Amino acid sequence: MNLRAEDYDLPMDAGNPGDRPVYSIGAVSKMLGIRPATLRTWQERYGVVVPERSEGGHRLYTRDQVQQLRFLMDQVAAGLSPADGHRVLEERIAAGLPVQSAGTSGADTLLILLAERDPFAADFAEYFLRTEGYDVALVLSVEDAIATTASAGPHLAVIDLLISGGRGLELCRQLSKHESVPVLAISSLEMREQALSAGASAFLRKPVEALQLVSAVQDLLGRSAFLRRDDRRAEHRDEAKA
Amino acid sequence: MTERISGGTSRLDTVLGGGLPRNAICLVIGQPGSGKTIFAQQCVYVNARADRPAVYLSTVSEPLEKILRFGQYLTFFDRSAVGSRVIYDDLGTVLGDRGLDGVLDRIRGLIQERRPSIMVIDSFKAMRAYAADDGEFRKFLHNLTGMVSAFPVTSLWVGEYEASEIGSAPEFAVADAILAFGSSHAAERTTRSLEVLKLRGGNSLSGRHAYRISPDGIAVYPRLADVAGETPYVLEQERRSSGVAALDDMLSDGYWPGASTLIAGPTGAGKTLMGLHFIFGGSRDGEPGLIATLQEHPTQLERIAQGFGWSLEDDNVTLMYRSPVDLYVDEWVYQLLDTAEDVGAKRVLIDSLGDLQAASADVTRFREYVYSLLHRCSRRGVSVMMTHEVLDLYGLTRLTEYGASHLADNVVLLQYAGFDKASISRTVTVLKTRASTHDPHVREFQITPKGIVLNARP
Repeated sequence: MNLRAEDYDLPMDAGNPGDRPVYSIGAVSKMLGIRPATLRTWQERYGVVVPERSEGGHRLYTRDQVQQLRFLMDQVAAGLSPADGHRVLEERIAAGLPVQSAGTSGADTLLILLAERDPFAADFAEYFLRTEGYDVALVLSVEDAIATTASAGPHLAVIDLLISGGRGLELCRQLSKHESVPVLAISSLEMREQALSAGASAFLRKPVEALQLVSAVQDLLGRSAFLRRDDRRAEHRDEAKA
Repeated sequence: MTERISGGTSRLDTVLGGGLPRNAICLVIGQPGSGKTIFAQQCVYVNARADRPAVYLSTVSEPLEKILRFGQYLTFFDRSAVGSRVIYDDLGTVLGDRGLDGVLDRIRGLIQERRPSIMVIDSFKAMRAYAADDGEFRKFLHNLTGMVSAFPVTSLWVGEYEASEIGSAPEFAVADAILAFGSSHAAERTTRSLEVLKLRGGNSLSGRHAYRISPDGIAVYPRLADVAGETPYVLEQERRSSGVAALDDMLSDGYWPGASTLIAGPTGAGKTLMGLHFIFGGSRDGEPGLIATLQEHPTQLERIAQGFGWSLEDDNVTLMYRSPVDLYVDEWVYQLLDTAEDVGAKRVLIDSLGDLQAASADVTRFREYVYSLLHRCSRRGVSVMMTHEVLDLYGLTRLTEYGASHLADNVVLLQYAGFDKASISRTVTVLKTRASTHDPHVREFQITPKGIVLNARP
């Protein structure tokens, strides 16, 4: 026997999130605090970070591209012009050097709403998120998800689109548009376009590998989540003073 | 089609229609000694990676100790991978102490801790004895199926199941793919065969496919049963010489490239010699040839060739000799196709078809086999000549019993015409040429030091 997996024209690993374009331009904008218009301008002007397009025309960024954009922001914050920042980034990519940002965030008791229909999938997802330091509020129906959002104010929601007989898209719209909670949509069916159109920041196909799930959550929470958390603390302080 | 992972070899993946379905439950069944464990280990070592390892779980059938002791002699076994890329563990103890619930907890823990991409349970069937009744086992199966479906892991459940259990054991209903390793016996020969009984989310090659077990693992030879290809292919327009000038005239200037020709005749009529003309005539014209013989030993064949001024040392000629004893026709045909491709053969001589037929299981299957072989060669522009011995020394009632004369593009019959003054005369008749005309006359010929020479027309 002389063949290995890499000898085949087959996907090497469904669980390698770095290879997959999953983040919408809106999600990247929130993660990094850059306006979508700026992202589009950078793409057209410098052609270094070029997202793929979904069938419906949505820009979709990979994790590596998000990391590259973070690196760019660091360069700009350090005083470089966007053009010079892109040149530095391009050189690093060409040289095969790692592209890392100084400010990559981690988890700090952020609350994840996990809206799942499958108890086995919920069990694994909750375990993997908790082992990364997140708090998890697990719900098994749309009604419970809405109630928990109102009472606990999650920083992010992971929603199985087939929850409550397929009402996951409705929940996506509710949470992302009315409650401003970023949504990571997941489903056994390919529902990327519907999920993005319903306001989800990213979509992953089930079954979701642990690293893929945790990485997506980390990316979506990113800096903006910390800012949101700090904002909330400030709000609470203000409320307490009042 | 669902995503696939490799089963270890490209031909095995061909049988599976691209590989095992990723993140699915695959039931691997067969009698003891059929190679199930070797197959499972092969899958494990091909697919396991440090960040997504494989977990191999023994139960109470074969001790883990034995799986490892014998497994280490397989060439793909990698000692350095054990404990990192490949995790071996034993479910036997937890099964004995805590039963099926303990197994569920252990597997749940392994998924959480190891995050495997592939998980083998060997033997799965042995766990059934730990359920108090069918209901308890079905409940266990439901929970295990739910668990391995919620995480991206490909499951291989290995078991010594009987064919009669397929309709009754619930494992078969929840499995996404079922691979049956079996064997058949005929004339004191054992032939191993693999059959894909079920495969959700994609196609597989139907029927039974021969396989062999060796230290390299499971080598599968997909059943040669090509349907007529829909994709067009181009054949050259210039005819090729048969190697015998006078016969070329009878064939309207030789053969079409990619054509198949059956040379039929009784023993000693000159069939092999006609084949050698075909091969060495091609060599003379710059066409590499392959002699696939089941008849003469290379030493004998070299002597025959030298008698006519040829040699097997010819750079354009390759010899593939295989004894017809204990011949596995499926293995042989892939060796033939691979060798022909490797040497860039434009002509292939198969000597003889009867030897192949004798090693084949049944007539219908052999007919498909010959059809597929000729079809593949034709699409590659490789001309094939096949010899076939007929029993009748004089006169003839039928050519072959498996329709090879119908499948071949050209049929040439060599016969004995009778005795004349204590010598025997031979004749050649072109019975059939596809897509061209031919001389319908019976022509006498002689075997001379220059090979076959046709007598002048009377």
